Amino acid sequence: MYLSTLTFTLLVLPLTLLLFYLIPQKAKRVYLLVVGLLLYGFGNPLRVLVPLTYVLFDYGVGLLLKKAASHRFLSRSIVMLTAAFQAAVLTAVRLVSDGNREFLFPLGMAIFTLSGIGYLIGVHRKKHEAESNILSLALYLTFFPILYAGPLISYGEFQSQLAKNRHNIVNLGSGIGLFIRGLAEKVVLADTLGYLFRELRQTAPASISMLTAWLTVTVFSMYLYFELLGYADMARGLGLCFGITLPKHFGQPFMTSSVTAFMESWNITHIHWFQVNFRDFLFRNIRHRWTKYASLVLMWMLIGVWYGTSLQFLLWGLIIGILLAAEQFVLGRVIKRNYAFGLLYTGMSLQFAWVLLFTDSMTEAALYWKAMVGFGAGLADRFGVYFFTSYIVFLLISFYIATDLFRNITERVAVTAIGRKIASLMPLIECVLMIFCFACMLYKRIPAALWLQL
Amino acid sequence: MKNKYHYHMVIMIVLVYVAVIFNTGFRGFPKPTLKTLSNGVWGTQVEAFLEEKIGFHDSLFRLRSQIDLVFGEKSIRDVYITDEMLLEKLDSQDAASIPQSAALLNRFYEKYHIPTYFILVPSASEIYEDLLPLNAVKENQRQLISETYAAVSTGIRYVDACNILSSLKEEYIYYRNDTHWTSYGAYAVYQSAIHKMGFTAVPYNRYVVSHVRTDFRGDLYESTLYSEIKPDILDRYTYENGAKIVSVTAHYADGSTEDRGTALYDESALESGDMYRFYLGKPSPMLEIRTDLENDKRLLIYKDDFADCMIPFLIQHYSEICVVDLTESLEVTHRLADPAKFTQILFLSSMESWETLWLHAKETE
Repeated sequence: MYLSTLTFTLLVLPLTLLLFYLIPQKAKRVYLLVVGLLLYGFGNPLRVLVPLTYVLFDYGVGLLLKKAASHRFLSRSIVMLTAAFQAAVLTAVRLVSDGNREFLFPLGMAIFTLSGIGYLIGVHRKKHEAESNILSLALYLTFFPILYAGPLISYGEFQSQLAKNRHNIVNLGSGIGLFIRGLAEKVVLADTLGYLFRELRQTAPASISMLTAWLTVTVFSMYLYFELLGYADMARGLGLCFGITLPKHFGQPFMTSSVTAFMESWNITHIHWFQVNFRDFLFRNIRHRWTKYASLVLMWMLIGVWYGTSLQFLLWGLIIGILLAAEQFVLGRVIKRNYAFGLLYTGMSLQFAWVLLFTDSMTEAALYWKAMVGFGAGLADRFGVYFFTSYIVFLLISFYIATDLFRNITERVAVTAIGRKIASLMPLIECVLMIFCFACMLYKRIPAALWLQL
Repeated sequence: MKNKYHYHMVIMIVLVYVAVIFNTGFRGFPKPTLKTLSNGVWGTQVEAFLEEKIGFHDSLFRLRSQIDLVFGEKSIRDVYITDEMLLEKLDSQDAASIPQSAALLNRFYEKYHIPTYFILVPSASEIYEDLLPLNAVKENQRQLISETYAAVSTGIRYVDACNILSSLKEEYIYYRNDTHWTSYGAYAVYQSAIHKMGFTAVPYNRYVVSHVRTDFRGDLYESTLYSEIKPDILDRYTYENGAKIVSVTAHYADGSTEDRGTALYDESALESGDMYRFYLGKPSPMLEIRTDLENDKRLLIYKDDFADCMIPFLIQHYSEICVVDLTESLEVTHRLADPAKFTQILFLSSMESWETLWLHAKETE
């Protein structure tokens, strides 16, 4: 069940929260686990076998690692083998499930894989003990808010927070507020952008104009941002309602002056995961400069494939990796001296790279690139102009939210008397936002999970 | 100060939920069965139910669409909002399907060799193209219609509804809140069609026109809930000295029939949510109409619902009319009505649904 549906927000969520706060302390963990599995199996009870298999597998390997703790080489080999095995299973399932875009499908599997591998590597590196209570591990792997798009949290952190029983009215209030903001990011912004994107994509790529091509790419990148940000913020809000503070998953990456800065605010916990569990784990001892660049590029190719199992995603990762390496090597110094150049270079290179994520083939991507540099079907067409004029206000608002360029204005207002007035009105504003979210959910113009069907 | 936020938040959101949930009508909430639970259909049913029945549904819907309009969007759910009327966004149609759909008609004509007539009706968006928002892209129906006409064999005679309707643009020929044409629009095309079919049209002034409803809001209103447009008028045309209906029989796919007496118009529809049904009553795969004329002229009509308000004019010329719904499978309709028994055949459909109709017909041919 998706978090941005009326079924969840109107019926399931209040019921879940109410019961969670009513039942005795001892039962709360088991309750969360059961809710997670029920939501996962909603619509197809057999699917519950997927998380259960992961739990059993990771639990068993964890205990094995505990036994082998004194044999570092053996322990390391086990971790690498099981990680490779899980990654292979994920890739195979995705290839079989006939879709190269479905990075969430089968729902949660990508997250099970990442959390599971992270847990095992953590045990190997003695960051936390191997879990002897299978229920605790099961709760960690099936904690339902994060199954859609993260954010990831390390096993040790999750357990220590759970032990503190941090569910109280303060966290509940902030959690609800954060959930509403996340829901709004998803159903108000992402859904409108997604609708716009789908309309724009109806033009045959061969007859696309420069304006439409740029509009499509811009709308796509912002759609993707708000879709993932929305799900992550909903997850963080829900987590807080249950007393778990999940890490920030997105910053405001647009209009940054380097790809490095952009990617530091993009899918933060996922990229951090790859940094810790792939790059640090495998290449920690290799200090040579060029090898470092190579491992960076390799990591980004892996992230690309994690987004979607096709050649285009691999190429996307490769391009991002090379740009990041180039920035570390020499480009970074140029950008530092010339901010405007940095903005232009980052915007351009990322816009061209996004094309790879939504087109169906390299030929199609090439047609988009051709149109973007002005060799498509003219500069503008009626179609593009119509959507541009219809949605320009909306696009500007979305853009304002997605960039931190004007952040200082907001900050300066926040400390004034008006700013404090607004802050005290926040609950009211958020409730109105929630009502508007209901309106958006019943107005639905695109399926709840468009990204899965692109 | 900071602490208050959480209490306010929790209390206020509870109030919002209480208000919405207590105004949601849970009557008819989809019941789960073992089957719908296991294949995931129940979840979809629940979501669809909530989208319809959530408390304050209409106000929430209008709030959402108004915000879009304020920001510069000119349509609500694929319907353009203009000052005078609601105009549907036309689906882009596959030009390659034209020769294929024409071939289907030609095969039909080759098989029976009965005088066949063909009318494709454009949508209001084509006739009132100039009302559409600036730069709005629209399918060129006029061209599609003439291409389709050009591709049917010469034996089949067609009526250029586009030009007839365009010349009457200033008149009330399309509903403002509905996709269909008005009775007057249908009359104008009937006049020209019946001439080609070998009859003299009944002059307009012979009819007594009565407004049966003046508050008709049709399917375009239903999908936009946009109430700034003037409601529509539903007309009944009565020809006192004309031919009378002897019997109306509806045939259903399962073989059952329903005797509808001598009434073509369905008064009960005027009180229902679907007032346009007034013209031909409840949809059925085939409707058999007999009149007191004894000229042995029998007409078979293959139609979509645009034909509904033209039938009252056509009955003045035939002793028997069979109205076959093209949305039903041809297999059923062939079983109900054998085309060979008729003296004339008329294909009448809106261009907007023609593509889906002939695709459907091809599958069941």
